[in-house]
Amino acid sequence: MKHALNLQVGPVGFRVGSDWRGPVAALRALYRGYPEPDVCDFSVRLEPEQPWRRWLKPSVAIRGDYILPDAAPLALPHGLLAAEMGMNLQMALGQKHYLLLHASAVERDGKAVLMTGASGSGKSTLAAMLGEHGWRFMGDEFALLDFDTGDLHPFPRAISLKNHAIYAMAELASSERFGPWLRGTPKGTIRHLRPRDEAIARMAEPARPVLILFPRFDKAVPRAIRPVGAAEVFVRLTQASTNYVALGERSFAALTRLVINLPSRAIDYSDGSSAIEMVEALWAELGQ
Amino acid sequence: MVRVELDGLTALFHRPSGMTHILAPPAPQLLDALAESSATAAELAERLGRSFQIDGGADEMAARLAELEAAGLVQRV
Amino acid sequence: MSEKIDQQPSEPVPAPSRRMVLALGAAAASTVVTIRPALAQTAGSVLNCEIPVPAPQAAGNYIAADGSLVAPGTAGSFPPAPRNLTGEEVKVMLRGGPSPAGIDSQSAQAYANYIRRLQAGMSGFTCYASLQMPR
Repeated sequence: MKHALNLQVGPVGFRVGSDWRGPVAALRALYRGYPEPDVCDFSVRLEPEQPWRRWLKPSVAIRGDYILPDAAPLALPHGLLAAEMGMNLQMALGQKHYLLLHASAVERDGKAVLMTGASGSGKSTLAAMLGEHGWRFMGDEFALLDFDTGDLHPFPRAISLKNHAIYAMAELASSERFGPWLRGTPKGTIRHLRPRDEAIARMAEPARPVLILFPRFDKAVPRAIRPVGAAEVFVRLTQASTNYVALGERSFAALTRLVINLPSRAIDYSDGSSAIEMVEALWAELGQ
Repeated sequence: MVRVELDGLTALFHRPSGMTHILAPPAPQLLDALAESSATAAELAERLGRSFQIDGGADEMAARLAELEAAGLVQRV
Repeated sequence: MSEKIDQQPSEPVPAPSRRMVLALGAAAASTVVTIRPALAQTAGSVLNCEIPVPAPQAAGNYIAADGSLVAPGTAGSFPPAPRNLTGEEVKVMLRGGPSPAGIDSQSAQAYANYIRRLQAGMSGFTCYASLQMPR
């Protein structure tokens, strides 16, 4: 590959290669300050869908150690998004050392809040906001659960902000932390936000999870907090994990231990400040 | 099998298949009653009847056993 | 090392004079749920997918109203979709929502049924599987 970047994110090392200069340059700028890995666990390759698509209406196919059939290519201006999706794909299909949960996480005093839900529910934006309000950002896409210790390992990739969330975070974070505007992507308008320097510096520090949240951002619903039963939490987390089934009994042990020991709440909110208030109130209530 | 009680339901890891199942009563109790030895549906009802007052008949018993069979947790011998 | 979890005793100790009621449930009830491998929740982050109708392996066939493949021109059948359908469009179609741009509602219904019949190994299957939300 003509252009390549090696990137360490939490405990995982990636090599991202590309036939075009643009996506790697954008990735290098977005991930300024991230360490270089000693070992690359996964590689992502951005390649033309067919050889002649390198120059003619260039389309970027996401390839690498792991691929998904039926994956449609992206346009070259969205190459940064392709690189991010490629890294997500390697984790989703290849991660075996940790139980992978589709969740965001933040830390304070060595303890972590795990936030999970479907795409668009608000977990990424909530984690980003908490990261600007005294919490250490650990990740917005994946949380890594350690099978032996039960701790969460940070995976602080650039935060993927969509549509309205971009404007909300632009008021809280300095402009040089933002990636380019990506308009007209299959997922709408996206901008990436680099985590704060402290979150990057402490990417190797795990934290003990103490609270599970199911956040739901919806302008139409009233503010609400509800407890969620352990069985429901367990099933929802198995559905939020791409490697639960593959990793067998260790998954069962780690996940049952997590849901039995941790309180779980569903929180509904129609704006970011309410969400932060609710998280702080729960944190205090739990005696943290 | 490895079992963990979660909030009124039973999470069960079945080692031979590597599959996880969530069971609601009476499924865990049926598995317990079959643990000692296999049984006909009638014998099963009788074993359970020693510990419980059974609410339901042969059709319901058959449905519960069919579910456990579909999940690979019991098999006909 | 992973710790062993002991089997929890699940029979309650019966009271001397009264046994607890054990309801067998209705014949149609569901008391066993099996955890299946899941890609759906993560799919939006990992997969930008499209489904061709029909798959290239079945090029040349028309789609019957029930989604099965039939010879071109069969009465009551629909021609192949004019373009690949995106994951988002298929999600909406499968929920009974409006048909995708440029496709009339009857064709959309036939295409939706075709997609529901997709098997592993056919183009579009992974995309379809990734759209499945759990029960």
